[in-house]
Amino acid sequence: MAGIMILNGSPRAPRSNSKKYAALFAQACPAETVYREITRGNHGTLCREIEGFSDLLLVFPLYADGIPVTLLRFLKALEAAPPSPRLTVSMMVNCGFLEPGQNDTVVEMIRLFCEKSGCRFGSVLEIGSGEAILETPFAGMVRRKIGKLADSIARGTRRSWKVTMPLPKRWFIRASTAYWESYGKRNGVTKEQMATMEIEK
Amino acid sequence: MRLILSDRPLPLPELSSDTTFVDLSGLKIANCVGCFGCWTKTPGRCVIRDDAVKIYPLIAASDRVLYVSRIRYGGYDEPMKTMLERAIPVQQAFIRLVNGETHHLQRRVVPKQAVVMGYGEEISSAEEAVFRRLVARNALNMNFSEFRVEVMPEAAVEDAVRREAAAWLG
Ligand SMILES: Cc1cc2nc3c(=O)[nH]c(=O)nc-3n(C[C@H](O)[C@H](O)[C@H](O)COP(=O)(O)O)c2cc1C
Repeated sequence: MAGIMILNGSPRAPRSNSKKYAALFAQACPAETVYREITRGNHGTLCREIEGFSDLLLVFPLYADGIPVTLLRFLKALEAAPPSPRLTVSMMVNCGFLEPGQNDTVVEMIRLFCEKSGCRFGSVLEIGSGEAILETPFAGMVRRKIGKLADSIARGTRRSWKVTMPLPKRWFIRASTAYWESYGKRNGVTKEQMATMEIEK
Repeated sequence: MRLILSDRPLPLPELSSDTTFVDLSGLKIANCVGCFGCWTKTPGRCVIRDDAVKIYPLIAASDRVLYVSRIRYGGYDEPMKTMLERAIPVQQAFIRLVNGETHHLQRRVVPKQAVVMGYGEEISSAEEAVFRRLVARNALNMNFSEFRVEVMPEAAVEDAVRREAAAWLG
Protein backbone atom coordinates (compact mmCIF):
# COMPACT_ATOMS: atom_id res chain seq x y z
CA MET A 1 0.00 0.00 0.00
CA ALA A 2 1.69 3.15 -1.20
CA GLY A 3 1.07 5.97 -3.59
CA ILE A 4 -1.89 8.11 -4.45
CA MET A 5 -4.66 7.28 -6.87
CA ILE A 6 -6.09 10.46 -8.38
CA LEU A 7 -9.64 9.81 -9.44
CA ASN A 8 -11.50 12.22 -11.70
CA GLY A 9 -15.22 12.22 -10.87
CA SER A 10 -16.37 14.68 -13.54
CA PRO A 11 -18.92 13.33 -16.03
CA ARG A 12 -16.86 15.02 -18.74
CA ALA A 13 -13.56 13.75 -17.34
CA PRO A 14 -11.54 13.69 -20.59
CA ARG A 15 -12.29 17.39 -21.23
CA SER A 16 -12.78 18.56 -17.67
CA ASN A 17 -11.34 21.25 -15.47
CA SER A 18 -10.87 18.46 -12.94
CA LYS A 19 -8.43 16.82 -15.35
CA LYS A 20 -6.34 20.00 -15.39
CA TYR A 21 -6.40 20.25 -11.60
CA ALA A 22 -5.45 16.58 -11.37
CA ALA A 23 -2.51 17.10 -13.74
CA LEU A 24 -1.25 20.03 -11.64
CA PHE A 25 -1.50 17.82 -8.58
CA ALA A 26 0.46 15.00 -10.20
CA GLN A 27 3.18 17.49 -11.23
CA ALA A 28 3.42 18.92 -7.72
CA CYS A 29 3.24 15.67 -5.80
CA PRO A 30 6.44 14.27 -4.28
CA ALA A 31 4.80 10.83 -3.93
CA GLU A 32 3.92 8.43 -6.73
CA THR A 33 0.53 9.02 -8.37
CA VAL A 34 -1.66 7.31 -10.95
CA TYR A 35 -4.56 9.08 -12.65
CA ARG A 36 -7.90 7.43 -13.45
CA GLU A 37 -11.28 8.55 -14.74
CA ILE A 38 -14.62 7.04 -13.71
CA THR A 39 -16.67 5.49 -16.48
CA ARG A 40 -19.94 3.58 -16.21
CA GLY A 41 -18.21 0.28 -16.74
CA ASN A 42 -15.00 0.52 -14.69
CA HIS A 43 -16.25 0.65 -11.09
CA GLY A 44 -15.15 -2.90 -10.28
CA THR A 45 -11.72 -2.44 -11.82
CA LEU A 46 -11.18 0.81 -9.94
CA CYS A 47 -12.31 -0.67 -6.62
CA ARG A 48 -9.81 -3.51 -7.03
CA GLU A 49 -7.03 -1.18 -8.13
CA ILE A 50 -7.56 1.14 -5.15
CA GLU A 51 -6.57 -1.72 -2.84
CA GLY A 52 -2.97 -1.14 -3.90
CA PHE A 53 -2.95 2.50 -2.74
CA SER A 54 -2.65 4.24 0.62
CA ASP A 55 -4.43 7.36 -0.64
CA LEU A 56 -7.30 8.24 -2.90
CA LEU A 57 -7.69 11.81 -4.13
CA LEU A 58 -11.15 12.58 -5.48
CA VAL A 59 -11.08 15.44 -8.00
CA PHE A 60 -14.51 16.57 -9.11
CA PRO A 61 -16.86 19.48 -9.83
CA LEU A 62 -19.64 20.66 -7.54
CA TYR A 63 -22.95 19.70 -9.15
CA ALA A 64 -26.21 21.10 -7.77
CA ASP A 65 -24.49 21.72 -4.44
CA GLY A 66 -23.51 18.08 -4.17
CA ILE A 67 -21.59 15.10 -5.54
CA PRO A 68 -21.99 14.65 -9.33
CA VAL A 69 -23.95 11.48 -10.12
CA THR A 70 -20.95 9.96 -11.93
CA LEU A 71 -18.97 10.06 -8.68
CA LEU A 72 -21.94 9.24 -6.43
CA ARG A 73 -22.51 5.97 -8.29
CA PHE A 74 -18.88 5.05 -7.96
CA LEU A 75 -18.78 5.87 -4.24
CA LYS A 76 -21.74 3.55 -3.67
CA ALA A 77 -19.82 0.77 -5.45
CA LEU A 78 -16.69 1.50 -3.40
CA GLU A 79 -18.65 1.49 -0.14
CA ALA A 80 -20.01 -1.93 -1.08
CA ALA A 81 -16.55 -3.24 -2.04
CA PRO A 82 -15.52 -2.08 0.76
CA PRO A 83 -12.23 -0.13 0.84
CA SER A 84 -9.44 -0.87 3.31
CA PRO A 85 -9.75 0.96 6.64
CA ARG A 86 -6.19 2.12 5.98
CA LEU A 87 -7.25 4.03 2.87
CA THR A 88 -7.23 7.82 3.27
CA VAL A 89 -9.61 9.75 1.03
CA SER A 90 -8.73 13.36 0.21
CA MET A 91 -10.57 15.69 -2.13
CA MET A 92 -10.10 18.60 -4.51
CA VAL A 93 -13.45 20.02 -5.54
CA ASN A 94 -14.04 22.93 -7.90
CA CYS A 95 -17.21 24.95 -8.35
CA GLY A 96 -18.29 27.49 -10.94
CA PHE A 97 -19.30 30.21 -8.51
CA LEU A 98 -16.80 32.61 -6.96
CA GLU A 99 -17.10 31.55 -3.33
CA PRO A 100 -15.09 28.38 -2.62
CA GLY A 101 -17.22 27.95 0.52
CA GLN A 102 -20.11 26.92 -1.72
CA ASN A 103 -18.29 23.55 -1.68
CA ASP A 104 -18.50 23.21 2.11
CA THR A 105 -21.55 20.93 2.08
CA VAL A 106 -20.01 18.49 -0.39
CA VAL A 107 -16.93 18.26 1.83
CA GLU A 108 -19.24 17.04 4.60
CA MET A 109 -20.78 14.54 2.16
CA ILE A 110 -17.38 13.01 1.38
CA ARG A 111 -16.66 12.91 5.12
CA LEU A 112 -19.93 10.97 5.59
CA PHE A 113 -18.91 8.62 2.78
CA CYS A 114 -15.67 7.91 4.65
CA GLU A 115 -17.55 7.22 7.88
CA LYS A 116 -19.96 4.83 6.15
CA SER A 117 -17.30 2.98 4.24
CA GLY A 118 -14.87 2.84 7.15
CA CYS A 119 -11.94 4.67 5.58
CA ARG A 120 -10.09 7.78 6.76
CA PHE A 121 -10.91 11.31 5.70
CA GLY A 122 -7.84 13.25 4.60
CA SER A 123 -7.10 16.70 3.20
CA VAL A 124 -9.32 19.09 1.27
CA LEU A 125 -8.86 21.79 -1.36
CA GLU A 126 -11.96 23.79 -2.31
CA ILE A 127 -11.63 25.83 -5.49
CA GLY A 128 -14.03 28.66 -6.38
CA SER A 129 -14.38 30.16 -9.88
CA GLY A 130 -13.08 26.78 -10.99
CA GLU A 131 -14.53 26.93 -14.49
CA ALA A 132 -12.17 29.76 -15.48
CA ILE A 133 -9.45 30.44 -12.89
CA LEU A 134 -6.74 28.45 -14.67
CA GLU A 135 -7.11 30.76 -17.70
CA THR A 136 -6.50 33.88 -15.59
CA PRO A 137 -3.45 35.50 -13.96
CA PHE A 138 -4.64 33.83 -10.73
CA ALA A 139 -3.71 30.32 -11.92
CA GLY A 140 -0.52 30.54 -9.84
CA MET A 141 -2.59 30.85 -6.67
CA VAL A 142 -4.30 27.56 -7.46
CA ARG A 143 -0.98 25.91 -8.27
CA ARG A 144 0.44 26.94 -4.91
CA LYS A 145 -2.53 25.55 -3.00
CA ILE A 146 -2.38 22.33 -5.02
CA GLY A 147 1.28 22.08 -4.03
CA LYS A 148 0.29 22.35 -0.36
CA LEU A 149 -2.40 19.73 -0.81
CA ALA A 150 0.11 17.38 -2.46
CA ASP A 151 2.62 17.84 0.37
CA SER A 152 -0.02 17.28 2.98
CA ILE A 153 -1.28 14.06 1.39
CA ALA A 154 2.26 12.77 0.82
CA ARG A 155 3.13 13.46 4.47
CA GLY A 156 -0.10 12.10 5.83
CA THR A 157 -1.22 15.30 7.53
CA ARG A 158 -4.87 16.30 7.24
CA ARG A 159 -5.49 19.88 6.27
CA SER A 160 -7.93 22.08 4.34
CA TRP A 161 -7.53 25.00 1.98
CA LYS A 162 -9.69 27.22 -0.15
CA VAL A 163 -8.75 29.26 -3.19
CA THR A 164 -10.56 31.51 -5.65
CA MET A 165 -10.04 34.59 -7.82
CA PRO A 166 -9.31 37.51 -5.48
CA LEU A 167 -11.84 39.73 -7.25
CA PRO A 168 -14.68 41.92 -6.02
CA LYS A 169 -17.92 40.06 -6.82
CA ARG A 170 -19.08 42.65 -9.35
CA TRP A 171 -15.85 42.21 -11.32
CA PHE A 172 -16.21 38.47 -11.23
CA ILE A 173 -19.75 38.76 -12.56
CA ARG A 174 -18.55 41.01 -15.40
CA ALA A 175 -15.72 38.61 -16.23
CA SER A 176 -17.97 35.56 -16.10
CA THR A 177 -20.56 37.27 -18.32
CA ALA A 178 -17.85 37.90 -20.92
CA TYR A 179 -16.65 34.29 -20.53
CA TRP A 180 -20.10 32.82 -21.21
CA GLU A 181 -20.86 35.30 -23.96
CA SER A 182 -17.78 34.23 -25.89
CA TYR A 183 -18.61 30.56 -25.17
CA GLY A 184 -21.98 31.09 -26.86
CA LYS A 185 -20.44 33.06 -29.68
CA ARG A 186 -18.25 30.10 -30.60
CA ASN A 187 -21.51 28.17 -31.09
CA GLY A 188 -23.08 31.00 -33.09
CA VAL A 189 -25.42 31.89 -30.21
CA THR A 190 -25.86 35.51 -29.11
CA LYS A 191 -25.99 36.84 -25.57
CA GLU A 192 -29.69 37.66 -26.06
CA GLN A 193 -30.44 34.10 -27.19
CA MET A 194 -28.53 32.73 -24.21
CA ALA A 195 -30.59 34.96 -21.91
CA THR A 196 -33.92 33.60 -23.16
CA MET A 197 -36.55 33.17 -20.45
CA GLU A 198 -38.15 30.28 -22.39
CA ILE A 199 -37.67 26.69 -21.27
CA GLU A 200 -38.08 23.84 -23.79
CA LYS A 201 -39.60 26.15 -26.41
CA MET B 1 -49.06 24.42 -10.81
CA ARG B 2 -47.83 21.97 -8.22
CA LEU B 3 -45.41 19.08 -8.49
CA ILE B 4 -44.65 15.99 -6.44
CA LEU B 5 -41.33 14.54 -7.57
CA SER B 6 -40.46 11.22 -6.00
CA ASP B 7 -37.77 8.58 -6.41
CA ARG B 8 -40.31 5.84 -5.70
CA PRO B 9 -43.89 4.97 -6.56
CA LEU B 10 -46.35 6.31 -3.98
CA PRO B 11 -49.98 5.37 -3.47
CA LEU B 12 -51.52 8.83 -3.36
CA PRO B 13 -55.02 10.02 -2.59
CA GLU B 14 -56.84 12.09 -5.15
CA LEU B 15 -54.70 15.09 -6.07
CA SER B 16 -55.99 18.47 -7.11
CA SER B 17 -56.15 18.88 -10.87
CA ASP B 18 -53.20 21.27 -10.94
CA THR B 19 -50.90 18.79 -9.16
CA THR B 20 -48.65 16.46 -11.14
CA PHE B 21 -47.08 13.39 -9.57
CA VAL B 22 -43.84 12.16 -11.13
CA ASP B 23 -42.24 8.87 -10.12
CA LEU B 24 -38.63 9.12 -11.27
CA SER B 25 -38.08 5.38 -10.87
CA GLY B 26 -40.36 4.78 -13.85
CA LEU B 27 -38.55 7.20 -16.17
CA LYS B 28 -35.49 7.04 -18.36
CA ILE B 29 -33.14 9.83 -17.35
CA ALA B 30 -29.44 9.83 -18.18
CA ASN B 31 -26.96 11.83 -16.13
CA CYS B 32 -25.92 15.35 -17.10
CA VAL B 33 -22.68 15.22 -19.06
CA GLY B 34 -21.71 18.82 -18.30
CA CYS B 35 -21.69 19.97 -21.93
CA PHE B 36 -23.36 23.34 -21.16
CA GLY B 37 -25.36 22.96 -24.39
CA CYS B 38 -28.47 24.12 -22.49
CA TRP B 39 -26.76 27.46 -21.84
CA THR B 40 -24.64 27.99 -24.94
CA LYS B 41 -26.01 25.95 -27.87
CA THR B 42 -29.75 25.49 -27.46
CA PRO B 43 -30.49 27.83 -24.55
CA GLY B 44 -33.28 26.48 -22.32
CA ARG B 45 -33.20 22.99 -23.89
CA CYS B 46 -31.11 20.01 -22.89
CA VAL B 47 -29.38 18.28 -25.79
CA ILE B 48 -30.14 14.85 -24.27
CA ARG B 49 -33.73 14.19 -25.39
CA ASP B 50 -34.90 11.69 -22.76
CA ASP B 51 -37.61 11.93 -20.07
CA ALA B 52 -35.83 14.71 -18.15
CA VAL B 53 -36.92 17.27 -20.75
CA LYS B 54 -40.54 16.70 -19.68
CA ILE B 55 -39.74 17.23 -16.01
CA TYR B 56 -37.69 20.43 -15.78
CA PRO B 57 -40.44 22.53 -17.40
CA LEU B 58 -42.78 21.22 -14.67
CA ILE B 59 -40.27 22.16 -11.99
CA ALA B 60 -39.95 25.64 -13.49
CA ALA B 61 -43.71 26.20 -13.70
CA SER B 62 -44.61 25.00 -10.20
CA ASP B 63 -45.14 27.32 -7.27
CA ARG B 64 -45.27 24.39 -4.87
CA VAL B 65 -43.00 21.38 -5.03
CA LEU B 66 -42.59 18.30 -2.89
CA TYR B 67 -39.40 16.32 -3.45
CA VAL B 68 -39.11 12.84 -1.98
CA SER B 69 -35.71 11.18 -2.03
CA ARG B 70 -33.61 8.60 -0.30
CA ILE B 71 -30.64 10.22 1.44
CA ARG B 72 -27.14 9.15 0.46
CA TYR B 73 -24.06 10.64 2.20
CA GLY B 74 -26.21 13.52 3.36
CA GLY B 75 -27.36 14.32 -0.19
CA TYR B 76 -29.97 13.02 -2.61
CA ASP B 77 -29.53 9.49 -3.86
CA GLU B 78 -29.09 8.81 -7.58
CA PRO B 79 -32.57 9.19 -9.10
CA MET B 80 -33.34 12.60 -7.58
CA LYS B 81 -29.77 13.86 -7.93
CA THR B 82 -29.74 12.83 -11.59
CA MET B 83 -32.96 14.79 -12.23
CA LEU B 84 -31.81 17.88 -10.34
CA GLU B 85 -28.56 17.97 -12.31
CA ARG B 86 -30.53 17.68 -15.54
CA ALA B 87 -32.66 20.68 -14.52
CA ILE B 88 -29.98 23.31 -15.20
CA PRO B 89 -31.58 24.35 -18.54
CA VAL B 90 -33.99 26.40 -16.37
CA GLN B 91 -31.07 28.65 -15.49
CA GLN B 92 -28.99 30.96 -17.62
CA ALA B 93 -25.21 30.83 -17.83
CA PHE B 94 -25.12 34.39 -16.53
CA ILE B 95 -24.40 35.12 -12.90
CA ARG B 96 -25.91 37.60 -10.44
CA LEU B 97 -25.75 38.14 -6.69
CA VAL B 98 -28.25 36.42 -4.39
CA ASN B 99 -27.85 37.36 -0.71
CA GLY B 100 -24.38 38.63 -1.56
CA GLU B 101 -23.33 35.33 -3.15
CA THR B 102 -22.83 34.51 -6.83
CA HIS B 103 -25.60 32.40 -8.42
CA HIS B 104 -27.08 31.94 -11.88
CA LEU B 105 -29.91 33.99 -13.30
CA GLN B 106 -33.10 31.97 -13.64
CA ARG B 107 -35.20 31.72 -16.77
CA ARG B 108 -39.00 31.69 -16.31
CA VAL B 109 -38.86 29.85 -13.00
CA VAL B 110 -41.76 30.52 -10.63
CA PRO B 111 -40.61 31.13 -7.03
CA LYS B 112 -41.57 28.07 -5.01
CA GLN B 113 -42.62 26.85 -1.64
CA ALA B 114 -40.68 23.63 -1.38
CA VAL B 115 -41.04 20.67 0.94
CA VAL B 116 -38.17 18.22 0.78
CA MET B 117 -38.59 14.81 2.36
CA GLY B 118 -35.42 12.79 2.80
CA TYR B 119 -35.69 9.23 3.98
CA GLY B 120 -33.52 6.29 4.92
CA GLU B 121 -32.55 3.97 7.72
CA GLU B 122 -30.04 4.98 10.36
CA ILE B 123 -29.72 8.60 9.29
CA SER B 124 -27.43 10.06 11.97
CA SER B 125 -27.97 13.54 13.29
CA ALA B 126 -24.78 14.59 11.47
CA GLU B 127 -26.13 13.24 8.17
CA GLU B 128 -29.49 14.91 8.74
CA ALA B 129 -27.71 18.21 9.39
CA VAL B 130 -25.83 17.92 6.09
CA PHE B 131 -29.06 17.17 4.23
CA ARG B 132 -30.73 20.22 5.78
CA ARG B 133 -27.76 22.35 4.83
CA LEU B 134 -27.90 21.01 1.28
CA VAL B 135 -31.55 21.99 0.85
CA ALA B 136 -30.77 25.46 2.19
CA ARG B 137 -28.06 25.72 -0.49
CA ASN B 138 -30.45 24.37 -3.15
CA ALA B 139 -32.96 27.04 -2.19
CA LEU B 140 -30.61 29.73 -3.54
CA ASN B 141 -30.07 27.94 -6.86
CA MET B 142 -33.59 26.58 -7.36
CA ASN B 143 -35.64 29.64 -6.54
CA PHE B 144 -37.25 28.35 -3.34
CA SER B 145 -38.92 31.30 -1.64
CA GLU B 146 -39.69 29.08 1.35
CA PHE B 147 -38.71 25.56 2.20
CA ARG B 148 -39.19 22.90 4.83
CA VAL B 149 -37.11 19.76 5.25
CA GLU B 150 -38.35 16.53 6.81
CA VAL B 151 -36.13 13.54 7.48
CA MET B 152 -37.73 10.19 8.22
CA PRO B 153 -37.39 6.42 8.05
CA GLU B 154 -38.51 4.83 4.79
CA ALA B 155 -41.62 3.35 6.41
CA ALA B 156 -42.91 6.82 7.26
CA VAL B 157 -42.73 8.24 3.72
CA GLU B 158 -46.16 7.29 2.44
CA ASP B 159 -48.00 8.80 5.40
CA ALA B 160 -45.91 11.94 5.30
CA VAL B 161 -46.58 12.47 1.60
CA ARG B 162 -50.29 11.80 2.04
CA ARG B 163 -50.42 14.35 4.84
CA GLU B 164 -48.64 16.95 2.73
CA ALA B 165 -50.84 16.27 -0.32
CA ALA B 166 -53.92 16.67 1.87
CA ALA B 167 -52.62 19.99 3.15
CA TRP B 168 -52.24 21.15 -0.45
CA LEU B 169 -55.91 20.37 -1.08
CA GLY B 170 -57.01 22.42 1.91
C1 LIG C 1 -25.32 20.08 -13.81
C2 LIG C 1 -24.34 21.07 -13.25
C3 LIG C 1 -24.51 21.53 -11.97
C4 LIG C 1 -23.63 22.47 -11.42
N1 LIG C 1 -23.85 22.91 -10.16
C5 LIG C 1 -23.03 23.84 -9.62
C6 LIG C 1 -23.27 24.35 -8.30
O1 LIG C 1 -24.22 23.95 -7.61
N2 LIG C 1 -22.44 25.31 -7.83
C7 LIG C 1 -21.39 25.79 -8.55
O2 LIG C 1 -20.68 26.68 -8.08
N3 LIG C 1 -21.12 25.30 -9.80
C8 LIG C 1 -21.91 24.35 -10.34
N4 LIG C 1 -21.64 23.85 -11.60
C9 LIG C 1 -20.45 24.33 -12.32
C10 LIG C 1 -19.26 23.35 -12.27
O3 LIG C 1 -18.95 22.99 -10.94
C11 LIG C 1 -18.04 24.00 -12.92
O4 LIG C 1 -18.35 24.33 -14.25
C12 LIG C 1 -16.81 23.11 -12.87
O5 LIG C 1 -15.68 23.89 -13.27
C13 LIG C 1 -16.90 21.89 -13.78
O6 LIG C 1 -15.76 21.09 -13.56
P1 LIG C 1 -15.32 19.89 -14.52
O7 LIG C 1 -14.91 20.50 -15.83
O8 LIG C 1 -14.16 19.24 -13.82
O9 LIG C 1 -16.47 18.98 -14.68
C14 LIG C 1 -22.53 22.94 -12.18
C15 LIG C 1 -22.35 22.46 -13.48
C16 LIG C 1 -23.24 21.55 -14.03
C17 LIG C 1 -23.03 21.07 -15.43
